[in-house]
Amino acid sequence: MSVTKYESQLREPLVNGDKTYGQVTQDIVNTIEAKPTRLWYIGFYVSVALLMFGVYSVYREVTYGIGQWNVNRTIGWGWDITNFVWWVGIGHAGTLISAILLLFRQGWRTGVNRAAEAMTIFAVMCAGQFPIFHMGRVWMAFFTLPYPNTRGPLWPNFNSPLLWDVFAISTYFTVSLLFWYSGLLPDLATVRDRAKTKLRKHLYGVASFGWSGSTKHWQRHESLSLVLAGLSTPLVLSVHTIVSFDFATSVVPGWHTTIFPPYFVAGAIFSGFAMVQTLMLILRKVMNLQDYITLGHIEAMNKVIVLTGSIVGCAYLTELFMAWYSQVPFEQDIFFKYRIAGPYGWSYWLMMTCNVISPQLFWFRKLRRNVLFTFIMSIVVNIGMWFERFVIIVSSLYRDYLPSSWSIYYRPTIWEVGFYLGTFGLFFTCFFLFSKYFPVIAIAEIKYVLKTTGESYKNDMSTLENKEVDEFVHEMHDHHEEGAVKVVHH
Amino acid sequence: MSKHIQFESMLSLTGSNADDRYVHRPSEAGAVALALYAALGGAVAAPALADERLKKGIAQAAASLKASGSASVVVSGSNDANVQLVVNAINQLLGAYGNSINWGATLNTRQGDDAAMVQLVNEMNEGKIGALLIHGVNPAYDYFEAKKFESGLAKVAVSVSFNDREDETSVRCKFQIADHHFLESWGDAEPKSGYLSFIQPTISPLFKTRAFQTSLLKWSGENTSYGEYFKQYWLTKFGSQAAWDKALQDGVVETPAAAAAGSYNSAALAGAVAAIAAAKPGTGKEVVVYTKIALGSGKEANNPWLQEMPDPITKATWDNYAIISFATAKDLGIAVDDNYEVEVAKPVIKLKVGQQEMTLPVLVIPGMHKDVVAVALGYGRSEKTGKAAAGVGQNAYPLVGFNGQSFTYSVAGASVEGTKETFKLAYTQTHNQYEGRDEVVREFSLKEFKANPTALKDERHKLVEDYAPTTGDYRAEGTLYPNHPYPGAKWGMSIDLNSCIGCGACTVACTAENNVAVVGKSEVLRAHEMHWLRIDRYFATYRDDSGNDNLDDLNVVFMPMLCQHCDNAPCENVCPVNATNHSSEGLNQMTYNRCIGTRYCANNCPYKVRRFNWADYMGADSFPDNQRGKLDDSVMMMNDDLTRMVLNPDVTVRSRGVIEKCSFCVQRLQEGKLKAKKENRPLETGADGKWDIKTACQQACPTNAIVFGNVNDKNSPVSKIRNEEQTNRLFYSLEQIHVLPSVSYLAKIRNTDRHVGVAEAAHHEEAGAEHKEEKKAEAAH
Amino acid sequence: MALKKFVVGCFEDEKVLFPAVSKVRKAGYKFHDIYTPFPVHGLDKAMGLRDTSIHTAGFLFGMIGTTTAVTFMTWVFTKDWPVNIGGKPNFALPAWIPITFEMTVLCAAVGMVLTFCYICQLAPFVKRHHFHPRATDDLFVMVIECGEKTNEEELKSFLANAGAQDVQTQVAEEGWWIGRYDQEQELYKEPNIA
Repeated sequence: MSVTKYESQLREPLVNGDKTYGQVTQDIVNTIEAKPTRLWYIGFYVSVALLMFGVYSVYREVTYGIGQWNVNRTIGWGWDITNFVWWVGIGHAGTLISAILLLFRQGWRTGVNRAAEAMTIFAVMCAGQFPIFHMGRVWMAFFTLPYPNTRGPLWPNFNSPLLWDVFAISTYFTVSLLFWYSGLLPDLATVRDRAKTKLRKHLYGVASFGWSGSTKHWQRHESLSLVLAGLSTPLVLSVHTIVSFDFATSVVPGWHTTIFPPYFVAGAIFSGFAMVQTLMLILRKVMNLQDYITLGHIEAMNKVIVLTGSIVGCAYLTELFMAWYSQVPFEQDIFFKYRIAGPYGWSYWLMMTCNVISPQLFWFRKLRRNVLFTFIMSIVVNIGMWFERFVIIVSSLYRDYLPSSWSIYYRPTIWEVGFYLGTFGLFFTCFFLFSKYFPVIAIAEIKYVLKTTGESYKNDMSTLENKEVDEFVHEMHDHHEEGAVKVVHH
Repeated sequence: MSKHIQFESMLSLTGSNADDRYVHRPSEAGAVALALYAALGGAVAAPALADERLKKGIAQAAASLKASGSASVVVSGSNDANVQLVVNAINQLLGAYGNSINWGATLNTRQGDDAAMVQLVNEMNEGKIGALLIHGVNPAYDYFEAKKFESGLAKVAVSVSFNDREDETSVRCKFQIADHHFLESWGDAEPKSGYLSFIQPTISPLFKTRAFQTSLLKWSGENTSYGEYFKQYWLTKFGSQAAWDKALQDGVVETPAAAAAGSYNSAALAGAVAAIAAAKPGTGKEVVVYTKIALGSGKEANNPWLQEMPDPITKATWDNYAIISFATAKDLGIAVDDNYEVEVAKPVIKLKVGQQEMTLPVLVIPGMHKDVVAVALGYGRSEKTGKAAAGVGQNAYPLVGFNGQSFTYSVAGASVEGTKETFKLAYTQTHNQYEGRDEVVREFSLKEFKANPTALKDERHKLVEDYAPTTGDYRAEGTLYPNHPYPGAKWGMSIDLNSCIGCGACTVACTAENNVAVVGKSEVLRAHEMHWLRIDRYFATYRDDSGNDNLDDLNVVFMPMLCQHCDNAPCENVCPVNATNHSSEGLNQMTYNRCIGTRYCANNCPYKVRRFNWADYMGADSFPDNQRGKLDDSVMMMNDDLTRMVLNPDVTVRSRGVIEKCSFCVQRLQEGKLKAKKENRPLETGADGKWDIKTACQQACPTNAIVFGNVNDKNSPVSKIRNEEQTNRLFYSLEQIHVLPSVSYLAKIRNTDRHVGVAEAAHHEEAGAEHKEEKKAEAAH
Repeated sequence: MALKKFVVGCFEDEKVLFPAVSKVRKAGYKFHDIYTPFPVHGLDKAMGLRDTSIHTAGFLFGMIGTTTAVTFMTWVFTKDWPVNIGGKPNFALPAWIPITFEMTVLCAAVGMVLTFCYICQLAPFVKRHHFHPRATDDLFVMVIECGEKTNEEELKSFLANAGAQDVQTQVAEEGWWIGRYDQEQELYKEPNIA
């Protein structure tokens, strides 16, 4: 007698090939146990080099002042906050995949959720660097925390969107980390129990918190994951909403817009999925995980990309419409004179091309399932989303209310670019380490879906497909749990 | 209302304040004066002038002058005696002498004798001069033939320089005797006859120096110091210690002489007229050399405050350049577009005047005569003058000419030629127009204002109708926020745009009072300047559809812009650490040591008045050595022990990484309040002319355009202006966004029949064709 | 903390495991636990375990977060330090929604995870006896506690008949201790080990 979830044959398998539980473990843990490839070493060292350059760029800025950057009295935020919003946006896909797709019971998330969550955490780490190091006096950053102090009553300003950011980003980071790590515990235990070397046994032993696989633990673990997913879903929406409040609650024409929260969230999912695509396509190639990250996964994510890309496109058009409809001259000038035209007009059209026009090609199934095209598009989308933030921030600030204060042309200095490159270094350094030392695919979750959606098991189920309805119902066990249909298979 | 008509060749500060303005070639200055004289009925033949607009202007000026007669005055800035003689004749014709011109108080500045100087240099070169004492002048720099002066100086057996620094002349003298700094010196002056002013030292000499006058006394056998001698002299003059003490304390003694001590002499007029009539108008480009408001002749070139003060017209700092017209720019292939605006690297041209050749960056400025190129004097000082002056700009004195009688500050027959090079110019304002945004600044012509005096008031009233229909209180009803009470004093400022001449004295006063950092050219280039108070200069319209100068519609408006101390301040809401918040006196306060420097407040400031310390400009940082090699020499110079003595001890010096902005001179407010408290009386903020408090900008303003005070006091001038005297001209910049600024402005009124202001300008952009038709109709009318 | 005797049976497939579980229950044997490499849905019910109430804890933690955030901000801006910030009211509730929400989520999440670790006794350096190394790989390891009356051999053959493989008896510590997985000895030893 076996208990399994019935899944339609119409859905394509999430795990290709004829796998057993043991093979799944072997395939995924192999990346940890084997010596990394040459490619891994090259990638890792390049990332560390970038990180070092970033560290030096930040050192310059902290030691000599924000004057190391080309932001100015009119454009107070430039690459720094652009990069912040960009990275935070990217950091949304992981939690979205883990949480929202878990709630929506999208089985395909299992192949990609671990790496996507890791990506989230690293992206949020990168994002966090910018609001911290864009401060003129970063050594006073702790002023943002409401800690009791001896300076008389002295508290932060809870009305400031930037303080909301402090809470939102730190909460998001903490919750993502907890979610990710609690999911990792069983898999780390798997690595621990397979470990051949003493050091590995020790370290994974410490990291797996003494996980044993007890049924009671699994039951609580499932409940915990579900509630964390439930919490993360509004959280992930709130984070980019709050980031958008940085702009939406201001008086700056081009920022002061109520459409920002949904528009930012859609944009975040858009860029996040694109980044997941970029990483997954590399990962499945380098780590030989084509059986677990299948074309089906890629296509599913491409569908999300075309959807969110279109939402973002609608938002861009709505913005233009509202600027015209509002009859506020400052708004109209910003949008029609200085954003779609003017010195930064090129960045607007680059954004439009990358974010709205090119993703429409994903309406073609052939292109959705084309690995190379997907890879190129994923990068194009992230370039476009970077420029979206750049357009919002710089092209709103540079010509606001008083024409006397309009800015000279803003170009980043090498240290501004260096900081950005440094976060790439940080991101990929973390990601390379992660891919070497952690199970990049959630082993337990793959095993959980293996027998319902694995290629070989689906074939078993084809007998069910041919059964008459009466017979099928008759064979259903009396177990009904959380909407899943249990099938008794003799 | 008085009317000011200006005829000039380049856009000067004075010209930019004129009600009507006409341009001519510099070589035509005499002809214009003569034509005006003729038009007023002077017994001369009017010279031929080619420019129709100019001719119309002369006719208009003549009509106006005739109408106002002896209440008017004509003055000329020309250094040519013939022109001045014709101007004198015009004033005589108008009956200005004894009426608008006071014979009694003569202006005693500019007493130099150009011809005598030329003669001296010639004699020096001929070896006729045995000894030369030099004090207060610097001919090796500012004499038009500096090389000739230098060679002459070498032939003088004894040359002595009395100077406080090694300038171009001092280093070439045989003896240098270090003089006191002016703040260490005694002295007296009579800038206007009958107005004596006294100079007393503010500090004991810091270095081993001796007053120039003491040296002279010593050499003439007197063994007293100049201070003693000076005191004795004036004591005897005043007769009593008390009178002398009072004079010294007041700094000035006014003993105006009786009027009508002189009379008009027409003897030389005929000669002057003949000379002007005989002169031929210049050809090619004409170069005008002029002095900037801040830097003047270049004597104070080592003062970084002045170097960094944006020129009122060009808004450029730290350099001189060639100002050209749009027409010339077009000829040179310089496109004055968006790109030109936002790129600090400006095209460089080669300017040829006779033997002289200069390569200069250009700025295209409206209101220039199309064939005029203007270059500022006072730049290109030598290395030893000081760190701030060294390497800044180029010396334009070689372009000065000499006509046998006096120096000429314009030369005809010049040519310009484009080059492929560019040069970065540090200017603080990129965009010249206010883009029809009458929410920002308002101006009217007198004619239109008279026709509808409440136009502005009505517009403001519409806001009330829209946003406060029930109570009529825009302030309280126009927002969801509660109305915070301001008991006691509530600070406010009123700035009259009609009085403001844009000179920038307030900017420098603010810099001095509030320890505003000097950032140097490299930082101004990156829009990192720190001025708390700037003057926005707008040309409402200045180009026609084809991109040429539009002289008819050129109106320059100056708008001092500082922190508006908004009661619903957008900057305060966004500060994460509450470093900026509102005081119960309506001040938008800035707490430097709480600031962490996110710059969010600066982004969210609609007036863009917040300034960020991009680097450790003031040497106030806890990080040691973080200035080294990162900041301009001029910034480092301001951090020397000696120069730091200019810092105001009442004002915090800001460290790197914090935002700063106008505080309404809060240190003065506190001082004034304490003073009133100690004297146990209410605070005086200008009611009946009694002031406990004046902000630095208010104090420095030569035209009293800035009035500051307590708006809760019904009798304070600021309240009176707002509520009684000037309600028709009153406006708040960006009142619509309901930030409730504490600075009110009074609209600029131009005494002209031309249309002034935004309505037509905006209209102009939208429908150029319609505009032209209207013009025709006007002409027909 | 004591050593106990257990009979351990391993299953390779949940198809075999589920009938075995109900048989074991019917036979009246006492489960110590079943260790599985992934969450097997329905196994807890089959074993007769009660539902977890960890989500209730999450709700309570969340409420603590909400209350703390709102009361704290109210106290700061109305009592402790009422300042005029941009003309906003001191009690600016709408502006506090973001922080309140974030604090709710943060408290709920952190509280729940800590609770989970506490009730499951999971922490770094915690070490347990693992009955089979492949329990985290591909085996479902059923562990039955041997009481005083249990016939060990009978139980073993019972399990083998139910489909278990590699049936064996193990004497092991049932709780956890502080230790390292690469070393046998405990890092911290209580004196009274039986």
